[in-house]
Amino acid sequence: MENTSQDIRQLNEKIHQASAFVDLLNLELSKVIVGQRYMVERLLIGLLAQGHVLLEGVPGLAKTLSIKSLSSAINAKFSRIQFTPDLLPADVVGTMIYNQPRNEFMVRKGPIFANFILADEINRAPAKVQSALLEAMQEKQITIGDTTFKLEEPFLVLATQNPIEQEGTYTLPEAQVDRFMLKVVIGYPTKEEERHIIRQNLNPGGMAAINPVIQPADIVEARKLVREVYMDEKIERYILDIVFATRHPEEYKLQKLKPLISYGGSPRASISLAWAAKSYAFMKRRGYVIPEDVRSICFDVMRHRVGLTYEAEAENVTTENILSEILNAVEVP
Amino acid sequence: MQKSTIVKSIYLFVLLGYVLCPFRLFAQDRFDVRASADTDRIRIGEQVKLELTARVDPGKLKEAGLQMVFPSLPDSFNHWEVVDRSALDTVTSAGTQEQLLRQTLTLTSFDSGRWEIPALKFEMIAASGSVDSAFSAPIGIDVNTVAVDTTKAFKPIKTIRTVAWSIWDYWLYMVIGAAVVLLALGLWWYFRRRPAKAPAPPPAPLEPAYDRTLRQLKALEAEKVWQAGNVKEYYSRLTDILRTYFEEQFGIAALEQTTAELLQNIKPVTILNQQRDKLRALLSLADLAKFAKLQPTPEEHADSMQKAVEIVEWTKPAARPAETPDAEGLKQKA
Repeated sequence: MENTSQDIRQLNEKIHQASAFVDLLNLELSKVIVGQRYMVERLLIGLLAQGHVLLEGVPGLAKTLSIKSLSSAINAKFSRIQFTPDLLPADVVGTMIYNQPRNEFMVRKGPIFANFILADEINRAPAKVQSALLEAMQEKQITIGDTTFKLEEPFLVLATQNPIEQEGTYTLPEAQVDRFMLKVVIGYPTKEEERHIIRQNLNPGGMAAINPVIQPADIVEARKLVREVYMDEKIERYILDIVFATRHPEEYKLQKLKPLISYGGSPRASISLAWAAKSYAFMKRRGYVIPEDVRSICFDVMRHRVGLTYEAEAENVTTENILSEILNAVEVP
Repeated sequence: MQKSTIVKSIYLFVLLGYVLCPFRLFAQDRFDVRASADTDRIRIGEQVKLELTARVDPGKLKEAGLQMVFPSLPDSFNHWEVVDRSALDTVTSAGTQEQLLRQTLTLTSFDSGRWEIPALKFEMIAASGSVDSAFSAPIGIDVNTVAVDTTKAFKPIKTIRTVAWSIWDYWLYMVIGAAVVLLALGLWWYFRRRPAKAPAPPPAPLEPAYDRTLRQLKALEAEKVWQAGNVKEYYSRLTDILRTYFEEQFGIAALEQTTAELLQNIKPVTILNQQRDKLRALLSLADLAKFAKLQPTPEEHADSMQKAVEIVEWTKPAARPAETPDAEGLKQKA
């Protein structure tokens, strides 16, 4: 159905009111997380857009603390799975165990049965374990034995990868990486932020406790509203132009990028970019998407969906360089 | 046994011999083969020419359906190496029906001693497949080593001999050089004589960005786009005209920037930055109209146009004078 000007005005007001919890969440999380606003914001985008987040950063950047605090603030269940080379799919999803007194097999659910999952160092486990997790992410359900279990909503997987240790790891294949809505690269905090972190950790009273400010059901409702955020056809065309420029750069006067790109974004990239843009607009308490929303989340949505050629790697060209070129060449509506 | 019986038997054998071996008799009658060497002694490694000849009567050969085949020597045989083989040569003798077939082989040997070139087989092959042959006489040739006087001392290795310089060794290069010089002179002469092209008319001066932008804004206003209900198109065109103006006038890639980025990037351009609030209000309203289906009031439509014109007018002093595409070149010529 065609949205009218009046509908959008009402939607805008509705979203303005409904998205007030975002500020509350940010305020609550800032009690324990210093800096890393970018990461927290991306986590919320993934949560609201029903996507999952792949996080790349060196150890000690508050990845676990962030997602744990977020789950506490939402009053949701949290699980952390440390991926290791000897991990089995059953260790993630669960298995059937024999109950001797009752003489029957019972289901023992794995740690994946939670709202927030931290899959730490996902690239340290073999492909079959990665597949088990990624299938659960995609299908939002788990089959153990003959029984299929629906995963609880909201369900968010935050997987981490360490960019500096590559020996003995199982790099996620492109098809699997594509299942993550966002790939967020995080860096070190600033000097001032790190000073606060030291003080906070050495505080005799310990770290502040996170109180629940909303319930998981509120997130599920917010997700419905995110779906309603208005996206004009001009924005849709802008998203398509960006994704198509990664596939056929020569059609956007970017012939020089042609030999550097081995493959461009998939249709899932377009869907994720649209979803994430709507989610970002919601977080900015708007009922409609503007080009800034697309540009703000473009790098996180696209960086793991554009393949580089050997030539690009030899010239130290990164996907960020390519995406910058594309964003500077594609006309904003 | 009676005498008459013996005589009859002899006749019978002679007759049988004649009947059974006619071909041989024909062959002997029809060609004569020979092998001859140009010397009977060589030094080791030297070459000897071996000439193989066969004298035949082609008329008779044709009549009997025969074909002559010369001996086929392997590359190496009996201490001899075949260095070269000439093609088969045919010489017709004047005044006779005979033909001389000739082939020359160049042989050498690297073993000292007396080595024999064996009798070589020339064959006559009939159309029926029967073969007759004739052999040349074998030839003995002495292959001698070099006599070394071991009583004398070793001699030093000879120095490199210089070849006398001659201008004729370079004749090809000189001809090519002369041809290049002549070609260059010819081209120079041709282009000098060719009438010069009439100079291209100077390109029409480009319309200054300031003038064009104002003209486009007036045209948009005159088209009464928002009055026709096309609000989104009105604001899209209005902002596109302004963004294009910023791009041409101030070198800001405004068409590829969002509202927030554009407002950030005009900061270094003082004259434009002074109109920042006006620009922000205009672009924000345009964004709402374009992306949120906002329907501004008629006063807001007119105000947006007014703001756009004011921004362009304000930045007029920064506008460059009209330039032709090759203005630099004309300045240099002057």
